[in-house]
Amino acid sequence: MVKKNSFGKFVSQYSFILVFIAIFAVYAITSHGLTLNGVMNILRHSAVIGIIGIGMGMVCITGEIDLSVGSMLALNSGFAVIIYNITGSIFVTLLFCLGFGAVCGAVNGVLVGYVKMPAFIVTLATMLIYRSFAQYFCQVFPKELCGGGSSVYRMINSLDSYQTFYGFGNGKVAKVPIVGIVLILVVVLFTYITTSTKFGKKVYAIGSNEKGAAMNGINVNLMKTVVFIITGALVGAAAFLWIAMNASSDPATTGKSNEMYAIASAVLGGISMSGGRGKCLGILFGAMSYTVIDKIIVALKMDSLINDAIKGIILLVVILIQLAGPKIKERFSK
Amino acid sequence: MLLEMKNIDKAFNGVPVLKDVQLEVERGEVHALLGENGAGKSTLMNVLTGVHPLDAGTVTFDGKNLAHTSIKGSEDAGIAFVHQELNLFNDMTVWENIFLNKEIVNRFGRCDKRGMIAKCRELFERLDVSIDPEEMVEDLKTSEKQLLEISKALFFEAKLLILDEPTTALNNDEIDHLFQIIENLKKTGTSFIFISHKMPEIFRISDRYTVLRNGEYIASGNIADITPEEITNLLVGNTMSFKDIYETRKTGDVILKLTDYTGPGFENINLEVKRGQIVGLTGLQGAGSSELMQCMFGVTRATHGTLEANGIHVQPHSTHRAMKAGIAMLASNRKENSVIPDMSLLENMYLAEHTLSAGKFAINKKEEQQKYENYRKMLNIKAQDSSDSILSLSGGNQQKVFLARWLNTNADILLLDNPTQGIDVGAKAEIYKLILKMAGEGRTILINTLEIPELQKIADYCAVFYEGKIVKILEHSELDDQTVMYYSTNAAGIA
Repeated sequence: MVKKNSFGKFVSQYSFILVFIAIFAVYAITSHGLTLNGVMNILRHSAVIGIIGIGMGMVCITGEIDLSVGSMLALNSGFAVIIYNITGSIFVTLLFCLGFGAVCGAVNGVLVGYVKMPAFIVTLATMLIYRSFAQYFCQVFPKELCGGGSSVYRMINSLDSYQTFYGFGNGKVAKVPIVGIVLILVVVLFTYITTSTKFGKKVYAIGSNEKGAAMNGINVNLMKTVVFIITGALVGAAAFLWIAMNASSDPATTGKSNEMYAIASAVLGGISMSGGRGKCLGILFGAMSYTVIDKIIVALKMDSLINDAIKGIILLVVILIQLAGPKIKERFSK
Repeated sequence: MLLEMKNIDKAFNGVPVLKDVQLEVERGEVHALLGENGAGKSTLMNVLTGVHPLDAGTVTFDGKNLAHTSIKGSEDAGIAFVHQELNLFNDMTVWENIFLNKEIVNRFGRCDKRGMIAKCRELFERLDVSIDPEEMVEDLKTSEKQLLEISKALFFEAKLLILDEPTTALNNDEIDHLFQIIENLKKTGTSFIFISHKMPEIFRISDRYTVLRNGEYIASGNIADITPEEITNLLVGNTMSFKDIYETRKTGDVILKLTDYTGPGFENINLEVKRGQIVGLTGLQGAGSSELMQCMFGVTRATHGTLEANGIHVQPHSTHRAMKAGIAMLASNRKENSVIPDMSLLENMYLAEHTLSAGKFAINKKEEQQKYENYRKMLNIKAQDSSDSILSLSGGNQQKVFLARWLNTNADILLLDNPTQGIDVGAKAEIYKLILKMAGEGRTILINTLEIPELQKIADYCAVFYEGKIVKILEHSELDDQTVMYYSTNAAGIA
């Protein structure tokens, strides 16, 4: 009896793993023979959206939302290419990505936390602004800095460190993609922050009961701002991975709809949109579930335009099960 | 006789809240319905207006039987309830509010806007109310909103208006105006049930009264035949008070000092509290004692005066600074201000202390668990596991967890705002003992409560608030129901 109970608890807390396993099973059946490479590719293709998702998850836990992450990725990766082309230094590029991301996040954070504008409106506005900047400055900056491309930021491949940088984005260590390792490290770091630090607990407290949190002496304004800044920095890290993997950034398409995928990953991973609940580990599995769906569609040779419909339906079904599950259980236990 | 309620019984979940209650209201009179908080006034009014069905009894209104009516039924019969918290739509205009769901429309369902505005204007003129029907409700003053609520009721020819503490948010001129309107309407035969805690107003406007206590009918009669002291005695009755657990303590130096402290809801508070003292603050709802505590804890901003705690001049409007100066507050309204619903008992306990020790980033789980165990034993918290949800505990045990939360911050000044709200008798007694014990250990405690027996059990002295000011300091020996009630209704103001 006790065992059954703890199993039930595990299922309700870690249902995102079951969702992933179910989707992965479909993939295993449809792909006619799993390869280690194919499985490892799931990690690789989840890296960017997973890291963005972690940031989105933190924002959602405070009860807010950030719609600007996709545009921020485009702007950040575009400018990062230019910084790389100027300096030729991977390290400087990384610093720029994190710093610039933090600044972009701070714009959202201050407007939400201190000016007290609704996060939906603020980040909707910055979503438009950042995307527009990314596309506009691509035309304005000197061609040689943008890597000679017409409307794409392209890294100059004749730079000394180019091979190292590109190798970082596409290389493997013991058959595991390096970017996948980065994703796992980020998840581990943020799992630690959210579960075992005072900062993390405050983030949850604010989302759970904002007034109550303030009555506990928590500086709610500051905390919200900091969470947006962290999200910005994470988007910066994702931008760094993006250019390492692609050696270029198209401001029109990079990060397009990523805010939606990030929110969907967070929700699929059990993050409550009203705040206060959820696990970072869930976001990892949420993001990977969506990557696997991409792969299933490729394996079945389906039209890729049906992709978003399937992702949307799976989101609805999973949430429906989560909502209906307890009620069904209640009815049967009577 | 306009209204006759007889032998009314009403119970919630088997707990009787009204026992054989009666109420009679004549045509064209203002009838004061009196009773302490929880005496059953609101329930009686909710039964009358059809919010709650009654269990037994008869209700006759204007010759009709209204015993099992609905909200709409009572409205149609001519009863209008003007609530304490105003039920107006701020984003609509005045006339839209009045005609909401009762719009005048033509054959095609189109609203006759001009006709409604004209009718509005006509009514306001008749009532001597100067409100523009086309104004947005959010731009109105509170007093105007109050008048709008009353006008709305009159528009649909209410014969009986229930005014639930209508003067709380009004200044003296506005009260005069309101009373003038009531007087005029009285002459035309409209009746009022007037619920108020303010003696001067009761004696000024009412013709007759009915007193309820603990859900029972106590007395009724003409206001002219009774004095404020007699009413106070009827309100509180001869309640037995258990003073036995109180004992005097040694107190230390002055640790908390308020000088001309003024903020939202209270003004010019001067108070000196010594280490180890328990000071009661009391007054009617909105009299300023709860507001004072919130301001001291940095929830609202003080506009004038100073607060000194532990020799530190506490900067206004920062909860964190107040905490650093050694102040803690167990807020009223536990669900809204204290409970972090998604967190465990342990997390709920350590949250406040962590804002003071934020420099140490990581949480030492073992140490926190040890602290929790200590407080669990010390406060006798009945809980299974520290990882259980806070929502799994009863109100009393939740409150103990929050007490642990604040003891954990090592604060030596504890502000307790209505700490026994919604807690059963046994847990209450435990909390009183804890408060006395903490004071004995040298902590300074301010407790805001409306329950007078509570003050008798623990307070060294008590500051009585009326309309934002301290009207009287009562020593422990002077604390009894009659005296506290006498000052908190400002009966002294007219005697």
